[in-house]
Amino acid sequence: MRMRERIIAMRVNNKPGVLSRVTGVFGRLGYNIESLCVAETISPEISRITSITNADSDFIEKVKKQLNRLVDVLDVTELVPGQSAQREMILIGIDLDQKDRTEIVRSIGMFDCKIISMRSDYCIVQIAGSREEVETVINFLRPFSIDKIARTGVLALRYKDSVS
Amino acid sequence: MEKTGAEILLQALRKEGVEVIFGYPGANSLPIHDSLDESPIRHYLVRHEQAAAHAADGYARATGKVGVCMGTSGPGATNLVTGIATAYMDSTPLVVLTGQVTTELLGSDAFQETDIIGITMPITKHSYLVSDPSEVKATVKQAFEIARSGRPGPVLIDLPRNVMAAKFEQSDDEDAAVTVPVKQPVESKKEKKQLQQIANYMNMSERPVILIGGGVKLSQACEELAGLIEKGNIPFVSTMMGIGSVYASNGFNLGFIGTHGNELANRIVHDSDFILTMGARFSDRSTSIVKEFAPLATIAQIDIDPSSISKVIKADISLVCDIHEALTKLTPLVERKERREWLNRIEKERNFLGRDRPMKECGPAGAFIRDVQMAMPEGTIAITDVGLNQIWTVRSWETKTPRGMITPGGLGTMGFGLPAAMGVKVGMPDHGVIVFSGDGGFFMNIQELATISYYNLPVKIVVFNNGHLGMIRQIQDLFYGARFNDIELGNKVDIVTVARGFGIQADRVSVEDSGSGIEKMCTADGPFLLEVLVDPDTYVFPIIPPGRSNIDMIGGRQG
Repeated sequence: MRMRERIIAMRVNNKPGVLSRVTGVFGRLGYNIESLCVAETISPEISRITSITNADSDFIEKVKKQLNRLVDVLDVTELVPGQSAQREMILIGIDLDQKDRTEIVRSIGMFDCKIISMRSDYCIVQIAGSREEVETVINFLRPFSIDKIARTGVLALRYKDSVS
Repeated sequence: MEKTGAEILLQALRKEGVEVIFGYPGANSLPIHDSLDESPIRHYLVRHEQAAAHAADGYARATGKVGVCMGTSGPGATNLVTGIATAYMDSTPLVVLTGQVTTELLGSDAFQETDIIGITMPITKHSYLVSDPSEVKATVKQAFEIARSGRPGPVLIDLPRNVMAAKFEQSDDEDAAVTVPVKQPVESKKEKKQLQQIANYMNMSERPVILIGGGVKLSQACEELAGLIEKGNIPFVSTMMGIGSVYASNGFNLGFIGTHGNELANRIVHDSDFILTMGARFSDRSTSIVKEFAPLATIAQIDIDPSSISKVIKADISLVCDIHEALTKLTPLVERKERREWLNRIEKERNFLGRDRPMKECGPAGAFIRDVQMAMPEGTIAITDVGLNQIWTVRSWETKTPRGMITPGGLGTMGFGLPAAMGVKVGMPDHGVIVFSGDGGFFMNIQELATISYYNLPVKIVVFNNGHLGMIRQIQDLFYGARFNDIELGNKVDIVTVARGFGIQADRVSVEDSGSGIEKMCTADGPFLLEVLVDPDTYVFPIIPPGRSNIDMIGGRQG
């Protein structure tokens, strides 16, 4: 079966221990979570979790059924490219010398990134976009001396009129 | 009026109909025990918390009510774990209460602190940490609803000592408007169509079989299922957990399937062209090699738990539904059929395998169990431990009622039998209660003889003693080149004297010459232990070797 990235999103009760129950399901089924995003929704008692797992298509059925067994999980959906908006944000800290500085500033404009902080020897760049856009920028910045990187993982919302 | 958290807890338990708690106190559960004497709830003090969980499990399986057990924090809670896992695997509704260190000490590695919620997460349906007495009432209500709804299972409530001791103003009448977050199976719009489809398959099939799992008795659908079987003239098999769901002395009952199952059941399932599965999850013990399970059959599966559908075997048609509800709608759609050809073929197979075969397969142990059943009162509930004793019992005891046979089929927990039998007796005092155990499992919870003796629970205890771990010995014999490593228990312990030391009458017989012992046991007042000496070379046949299919058995008539 073909392995690819699968996005699973769910709404859960915003309570202690719930995330641990959710991630436990992935682990017990033998799947690794590639990225995970958790935050409160419009109603503070409900959180939204968005996860990416590299898996075959069996995974979706299995994980959905097991997650749905959890009392604190309100609903689970798979988000498919083309039927959902997907974005990721990354912060990258880069060590700079004078030459890098000019090149980075120039390319930031090209890539639609933002410089969050700039010192003579260090800068933090924000990149937001689709997975591909973000990967392109990372690849471009790779030759520079990347110090640290923090990624949100993919966030996704289904287009309203699409049927799952 | 102000009440303590513990008082609110006990009232809430009463409201859920709790009459009995099996438990063991400790410092952090003391506020609850302190209030128990004012409550009509009876507390049975076991000798090890594992036994409390098994006893509550046995109680629940026999009565159909939710079982309740309790331990203190730390080791008290961790000792419950095996019992919780056993209940989880066999879908027994339990509410497990654990004491916990005070809320201010939580997470500080305090004395007798463990993260029991973390530890039990994969083996509970849900769990709660109660951090304020105002939450107690709603939590209990939710816990019971979750434990018994859908596919039942254990729910744990962790109760910090200070929360139980704290006072809180809670009016009696105000019945907390609690929303219970129970997951109802989504009403399928296609349900009607799916049922019609299942009925069509059944009506068109030439060689149908119904496969009964433990879910049928859990949804109290046994009578309805018997109705369907009679109407459609449909032969049936069961899983080990489904034994007793439908009692039929007629030819429809083919036995139970799987590794240690009946040859007839395994062969007929293999030949069938349609299997209607109800409340069964196709465990590896039932199917053996999955790809060779029922290769000719279309499989329909009805289960209340969506995660059980197509988990192991892809169902061709499935329906997420309570079995009882499904049957009331399905039976009218199923046509009356004679199925003479199919039933004749089954009878031929039965004759070929030998009609008295099931009687012979378990050797002298099987004959002994049948003699015991004759001597025990009608309606006696049999409990098994795990190992050869379990297979001998489920094959030889004629289970006539849905809750007449209690066995830890899913987890296979050695040590289950004795404490579970205590729970059964407490819940069903007017029924005969007998537990069949081996010497291995018996020693695992032998301390409960003290509980049985203290409360004078008239449980009959059979200990098959072959001085070995018999089933493991059989596996070593057949599949490990007869290298008998680490399985000899020996015969240095005089079990009869030990039992008497606990204050329990006891006797010893050999399995071939057991008449006098059976009579003594069955006529004795109060608890009685009968040690039954068995040759260690007495095994269970047929058996499906690992990695083989259900018809590829050792010791079978064919193949």
